[in-house]
Amino acid sequence: MRTARATAHYVLLCLCSVVILFPVAYALLMSLMDGAAILSGRLWPENWTLVNYEAAFQQAPLGRYLWNSFFVAFMITLGRLIVSSLAAFAFVFLRFPGRDRWFYICIATMLVPWEATVIPNFLTIQALGWTNRYVGLIVPFWAMAFGIFLLRQQFKQIPHELYEEAQLSGIGNFRFFCRVVLPLSKTSLVTLAVYSFLDAWNMYLWPLLVTNDDRVRTVQIGLKQLQTQEIASSWGVVMAAAVIAMLPTLLLLFAGQKQLRKGLMQGAIQ
Amino acid sequence: MRKVLASFLTLMFIGLAAGCSNEDASKAAGGKTEVVFWHSMSGDLEPVLNDIVADFNQTHPEIEVKPVFQGTYEEALTKWNAVAGTKDAPTIMQTFEVGTKHMIDSGKVVPVQTWIDKDKYDVSQWEKNIVNYYTVNGRIYSMPFNSSTPVLIYNKDAFREAGLDPEKPPLTYSELKEAAKKLTKKKGKETERYGFSILNYGWFFEEMVAVQGGLYVNNNNGRSGDATKAVFNGDEGKRVFELIRDMYRDGTFYNVGQNWDDMRAAFQAGKIAMYLDSSAGVKTLIDNSPFEVGVSYLPVPDGVERQGVIIGGASLWMVKGSSEEEQKAAWEFMKYLTTAPVQAKWHVRTGYFAINPAAYDEPLVKDEWAKYPQLKVTVDQLHETKSTPATQGALITVFPESRQHVVKAMERLYEGIDPQEALDQAAEETNRALQGAGN
Amino acid sequence: MNERISPFSPPTPWSVRTKRTARQAAMKSWLEGMVYLVPSLLLFGVFLFYPLGRTMYLSVFHTDYQGQPTEFAGLAHFVALLQDASFWHSLKATILFAVLTVPTTVVISFGLALLVHERRKGMGIFRTIFASTMGMSVGVASVIWMFMYNPAIGIINRLLSAIGGSPVSWLLDPDTALYAVAAATIWMNIGLTFLLLLAGLQNIDPSLYESARITGMSYWRQLWTVTVPLLSPTLFFVTTVSLIQALQTFGQIDFLTKGGPVEATNVFVYAIYREAFVNYQFGSASAQAIVLFLIIALVTFLQFRFAERKVHYQ
Repeated sequence: MRTARATAHYVLLCLCSVVILFPVAYALLMSLMDGAAILSGRLWPENWTLVNYEAAFQQAPLGRYLWNSFFVAFMITLGRLIVSSLAAFAFVFLRFPGRDRWFYICIATMLVPWEATVIPNFLTIQALGWTNRYVGLIVPFWAMAFGIFLLRQQFKQIPHELYEEAQLSGIGNFRFFCRVVLPLSKTSLVTLAVYSFLDAWNMYLWPLLVTNDDRVRTVQIGLKQLQTQEIASSWGVVMAAAVIAMLPTLLLLFAGQKQLRKGLMQGAIQ
Repeated sequence: MRKVLASFLTLMFIGLAAGCSNEDASKAAGGKTEVVFWHSMSGDLEPVLNDIVADFNQTHPEIEVKPVFQGTYEEALTKWNAVAGTKDAPTIMQTFEVGTKHMIDSGKVVPVQTWIDKDKYDVSQWEKNIVNYYTVNGRIYSMPFNSSTPVLIYNKDAFREAGLDPEKPPLTYSELKEAAKKLTKKKGKETERYGFSILNYGWFFEEMVAVQGGLYVNNNNGRSGDATKAVFNGDEGKRVFELIRDMYRDGTFYNVGQNWDDMRAAFQAGKIAMYLDSSAGVKTLIDNSPFEVGVSYLPVPDGVERQGVIIGGASLWMVKGSSEEEQKAAWEFMKYLTTAPVQAKWHVRTGYFAINPAAYDEPLVKDEWAKYPQLKVTVDQLHETKSTPATQGALITVFPESRQHVVKAMERLYEGIDPQEALDQAAEETNRALQGAGN
Repeated sequence: MNERISPFSPPTPWSVRTKRTARQAAMKSWLEGMVYLVPSLLLFGVFLFYPLGRTMYLSVFHTDYQGQPTEFAGLAHFVALLQDASFWHSLKATILFAVLTVPTTVVISFGLALLVHERRKGMGIFRTIFASTMGMSVGVASVIWMFMYNPAIGIINRLLSAIGGSPVSWLLDPDTALYAVAAATIWMNIGLTFLLLLAGLQNIDPSLYESARITGMSYWRQLWTVTVPLLSPTLFFVTTVSLIQALQTFGQIDFLTKGGPVEATNVFVYAIYREAFVNYQFGSASAQAIVLFLIIALVTFLQFRFAERKVHYQ
């Protein structure tokens, strides 16, 4: 009975994995085929080849792009964690006039369609002289309603008695924030970090607008650079670049998962 | 406590500044004149362009051309709109052919004619049929660069299999219908191979109208005055739509949607036997298809005289606001681009036309044509084009929007709407856009 | 605790003090709160509210191709919009898209999270697999799905014909296109939603399950009476965010269908994008953006008003 249940459980897990992983595997397989094989609609490569990867690295400075993406995504993540957790802390633990109103104002920013902000923001960045610099790619993304909202939901799970106790024993708000709130919210912080990193890693239109120089451009631009309209795209090369762009994020996810689990065990609130 | 917070934030800024300060991209060009060149050449095109630019920079030590990829033509134009007239604007800007009027109206460009006159440059060496498109009110506004036209592509093996002569592709609508019927292959209820297909993309429709001598908008395609009304819903347009409707109804026409690569995939997988594609894509297609590929002219309705094709692709614009020195350097670069050896290289490696026909006499091109005789067909079709307002192409600012309406009309055709009704609606929506653009 | 404290009445602990010190205390607490909020508010102000204000301003003007206002238009753009059949069509498509994607994504992700949230060997690897779709950009994912949907060589039609079905032009048929894009979107969104729900599940105190087990509750009953209520903050968060995201879908539409066929997938943000960045009609695009903003604001307000009441905070 128990083993039957376990088996059924694993079968279900494997089935779901196959469905979820399939598109990724499909891309990987295509990146290892030559052009003719892809267009003939094969699924499994007949001749395995790495030519697509060579071509991808030759056509765009992907190495430099990868480093830029990494740096930008890392800085965005760091900034977001700090800015969002500070705001969320204020919204949950501090009592001050207009608190809820401010919260709704923050949430309202989530409603602004991003496309509507692109041009004015570009002009702002231009006025600040931040075009073609990392700072223009990073700072506009530090504040994020999603992050504040996520952490607020997490902080609300922390028993308020802890805060009251801390107040009584004279522990200041900021110390309480650093010593108690943040450690207890590791899970959500890691989740937000992983999300932010991937989100930043996947930006396309914004980096394209605010940069002109290969030295600060990011990997998604490289991906677009490999696709064409009037002349057939080399899909193998595009897929190879996609895999290259995907690999670091998948690795990070893997690492983040481990961290997540550790955080979960320590973070259990008693 | 607040101090901690403050120092925390400061630390963050410092870290950021350290990461950025040495990355400021404005590089002193060391006495060289810098020409920033924004382009949309992606995929296999970019390395070719970069090679040409590198050659130029090496042979012209006083000039440094910096090519910068700016995304698709639309994305590049969006960015250009935002920076035009500021110091962030490039010196040379590449824009697609339908953006021509938009660029002129912006008032932020210097007509290339200015430099042609200053330099007393002889433009008769340029391909007339290409230059025509970019000539407005008798002045050449931009330098044609990557130019292409649509051609009929067909599967020669399938022709043989269906008992058709692979050297005699269909030239008229009735021949096309006939051939498509023979090429369509059914297996039970499923159609294994369709005869013909056209991408749901406005460009192909425009070309099919122009080849019959039909205009797209009034006032001679907007060439003799601002266009105020769409006229593509006349007889010529109707013939094109009826052709699609009839063939679709017969089950010999395959709807490939609006993705170029989907269309090519369908052809290479043997799902369609004939279709329309850009001349620029011909060589890659021949290389990648598992069968023999034929190339021919656009078909015309029976009894209609063939007028020829409109040039497509993109051109290079000189941007106002750059210094005299930069413009001069940009002009040097443009002249270099049009020399026969460079054009020969460009034509052979990309498939785009040479804007300088002398390039076709270069050994490089001759060897290539011996290997790919199909390439010559694309050039012949261009050379045989009669220069009229119809083949010169329409000049309107709202072209991208109008194309959306035409695409929608094509899609509605597959839904069973009457061709005239679909066309009329697209024309009316284009009219509205044309009027809206007036303010 | 009570969510809504009245902003200007002094909090209870201070009620015994005099009014003046209470006001001072309020001021002090306001200042302290602001210190935490300033980084966020400053950035929001510059990068979100300023553009939003600019959008509102432009929505009542005609503009040139650079987006500079030329002539006052009043409410002309809004009036034209409400009379435009494509606007209503686009609204319908957007709502349908949200209805198709949000509940499905949340339910599937919840199921996956429950599957992984068991003490068995090898869960780590499954967890990574299920979360993996969030590692892909919309661009990459769309390119892959485009290939899978390709009517001629795509794998989906190949599988279909292998089991005897007839091929479907997924993205080319107005009747299936929106569903096809929705399926791809669900796949793309599962990763993040799954991860968030899993994190929520892991946060639930295991001792609560113990007591449920002692009373001999069935798995499904336990799910309904213990898990779902305790997970409600996360569920609330996930649905709110997914809904907003769904109403703002853009990337996959641009890659897969360009709003076609026959506007079947012309969702709101895509329509705005095209109006502004392809047609350069910034005035009318801004008007559309304002309408979208109001719609999302209304939906989110209703969510907070009604759904958050059911949310159980510890």
